Amino acid sequence: MKTITKNLSSASLTQLAAALLLPLSAVASPTDSSKIPALYQENCASCHGADLGGFIAPALNATTLKGRSATSLRTLTMAGSFDTLMPPFYGRLADDDIRGLVNYLKETPKQPNPAWSIDDIKASIKVYVKDESTLPAKPTYQIDDINNIIGVAARGKYGRGEGSKAVFINSVTHKVIGEIPTGTAAHIIDYDPANPRWAYVKNDSAELFKIDLYSMQIVRSVKTGFNGPSLGVSRDGKYIMAGSYVPHNAVILDANTLEPLKTFELEGIDPDGKQVSSDSGMIIGTPFADIFAIALENAGQVWVVDLKEGFSVTRIENVGRHLHDAFLSHGGSKLMVASYDDSIVTAIDLKERKIIKKLEAGCVPHVGGGSVVEVDGRTLGFGTNFGDCDKMVVSVWDLDKMEVVKQVPVSGGTESPAAHANAPYVAVDIISKDRRARTVQLIDKKSLEVVKTLDVGGHAYFPEYSADGKFLYISAGYNGDEVVVYDSNSLEKIASIAMESPAGIFSHGRVRYMTRGLSPDELAKRDGDKGAK
Amino acid sequence: MNRLVLLSTLTLGLLSFNPVNAAVIYAGKEKAIAVCSHCHGMIKPSADAPFPSLAGRDLTYLKSALAQYRDKTRKNDLMNALAGSLTDNDISNIAAYYAGLKTK
Repeated sequence: MKTITKNLSSASLTQLAAALLLPLSAVASPTDSSKIPALYQENCASCHGADLGGFIAPALNATTLKGRSATSLRTLTMAGSFDTLMPPFYGRLADDDIRGLVNYLKETPKQPNPAWSIDDIKASIKVYVKDESTLPAKPTYQIDDINNIIGVAARGKYGRGEGSKAVFINSVTHKVIGEIPTGTAAHIIDYDPANPRWAYVKNDSAELFKIDLYSMQIVRSVKTGFNGPSLGVSRDGKYIMAGSYVPHNAVILDANTLEPLKTFELEGIDPDGKQVSSDSGMIIGTPFADIFAIALENAGQVWVVDLKEGFSVTRIENVGRHLHDAFLSHGGSKLMVASYDDSIVTAIDLKERKIIKKLEAGCVPHVGGGSVVEVDGRTLGFGTNFGDCDKMVVSVWDLDKMEVVKQVPVSGGTESPAAHANAPYVAVDIISKDRRARTVQLIDKKSLEVVKTLDVGGHAYFPEYSADGKFLYISAGYNGDEVVVYDSNSLEKIASIAMESPAGIFSHGRVRYMTRGLSPDELAKRDGDKGAK
Repeated sequence: MNRLVLLSTLTLGLLSFNPVNAAVIYAGKEKAIAVCSHCHGMIKPSADAPFPSLAGRDLTYLKSALAQYRDKTRKNDLMNALAGSLTDNDISNIAAYYAGLKTK
C-alpha cells in the first residue's frame, strides 16, 4: 500500500497554495509546542506512522520533508489532497496547530522503533462481553447462510472517528446487517474457518477486535502494535497471528481470549546479505496444515511457524526484495508471494518449506488477496501490479507448471483481483491517479483479455464477489463514499451502500474457497481425498 | 389520495427531466468530484467533518453562495481559493447537482 499515496501534489493544490499564501502568513502566533507530538499521534499517525516513518501514507520527517515549503505543506494539510485519502484538516485543526505540526515534522527525524512488548499487548486486552455463553446461539437477523456476509473496511474520511468502522452486509439483500466502530480506520477483516460466528477486524492503529457476527458486537479487543495490516487465522480457529510495521514484530494470540502466546522479533539477512530489522508483510493461515506463514518485508524471508508447543520457526530465505502480500493454491500447500522491488512473485512449497520458482510479474506486484481459477484443466493464478510504469499488466501463471501464461494488458496499475468459480470475469481495480482510478476492468477467464471496463466512481478498488458468485462488490473509495454492487454476469449496477471511504471488502465465503476464484467444493473435495487415503 | 399525489409528482419529475438537465447534472457532478467532494462529500460530508452538507439545498442559494465565494464578496480563505476558478456555468452545474440530490 505504501506507494499508493506517494504523489501528494496536484494542480489544484498549487493554485490553493498561491491563494492561501498571504492569509496564512499573516497569522503568526506561537503555539504550545509541547502538545504537537500528541496532536500528530491523534490526527496523523494512523496513516503516516507513529514513528513518522510512513504507513499507507508517506513518511513525514526531517529527511522526507527536506526542501518542502512550509506554506505548501500547511496548505496541503488544510485542504487535503484530492487524489489521495489525505482529508482536509481545515476547521478540525487550528491554523497555529497546523503550523506547529509542519514545523515539528520538518525538523524531527524518524523516531526509533518504539517498544510494544508481550506485556503491553497483554495489558491492552479489553473485554466487552465477559460471559460468551450469554451470546445468542444463532444470528439475530435473517440470513440463510453466514457465508453470505460481506465485510467492508470503511476507513472514515479522517482515518478515525465516526466514519471508521467494519460494515457487514448481507450479500443476497445488499442490506447492512451490522456496523462495528473501530476507532481508527478498519483495514482488514478475517473470519474463523472453524466457527462461523467469529470475525476478526484489525484497524490502522493495530487494534484487533474479536467480533461476534451473530449479535454484531465486539467481544474483546487487543492492541498488537502501533500499525501494520497483517492478520491471519489458523485453520482450526484456535490461533491468530498479527504483525506490525511499528514495531518490527509479530504476535501469536489465543483466538478465543486474545491473550498473547508468543512474540517474534522480525529480523534476518536480506537477499543482499545485510542483517535487517523488518516490517511484517502478509500473514496467512492455510487449510493445508497447522501453520502460519509470514513474510518479512525488508528481510525478504518467509517464515513458517508451527502451531505447537514452542511455535518453532522455519526460515525460507532469499524469497525476494521487499515482500508484501501473498495467496494460496493447491489446497493451501503452495504460497505465491509478491516481491515489490524485483517485480517477481515467488512460489513457495509449504510442505517442503522451500522456494519452487520465482515467476515474472508486472511492475511492483501487489497481489492483494490474489485469485486462482480452474479453466480448461489448468489452475491459473492472477496477480495485480500497482506500480506506475509502461508495462501495465495483470500476470497470469499456470500454478501446476509454475510458468507465466500471459501478461494481460490493462489500463493502469492494479491492486487486487477478484474471481469466483461461478462468475465469468476476473475483476481488477485500476488505481492510476487520474480518471482511470474510477474504473474496474474485467478479464474474461477463458480468453484472458479485458472485455469490459466499469466506471464505478470514487477511487474504485478492492473488488470482491459474493459467496454465491452472483454479485460483484466494489468500493468507490476516497470520496466516492459508497460500495457499488453489480450483477456478475450482466454487469448491471444493482445496489449502492453508503459509507465513508470504503476500502477492503472481505467475503465470509473466503473460508470455504480459500483463495478467491476456486470452487467452494474444491476444499471439501481435497479434504475428501485426504480422508480416502 | 397519497398515491395520486405521488403519481403526479413522479410524472412532473419525469417531464422535467429533459436531456439538458441530465447534461447539466452530469457536468456538475464531474466538477463536484474535482472541486467540492473532498470536503462536502459526493453525497454528504464526513460525520467527523466541520463542513456543511449541500445535498438538497436550495438551487438559488447554492448558486449565489458559490458566486459570492468566487467574487470574494463572501470571505473564507479556503472557499475563495477553491471557487476562484469556477465559471458561471460551473457554478450552475455544481448547484444543480447538489440541489438535485435527495436527502434522507
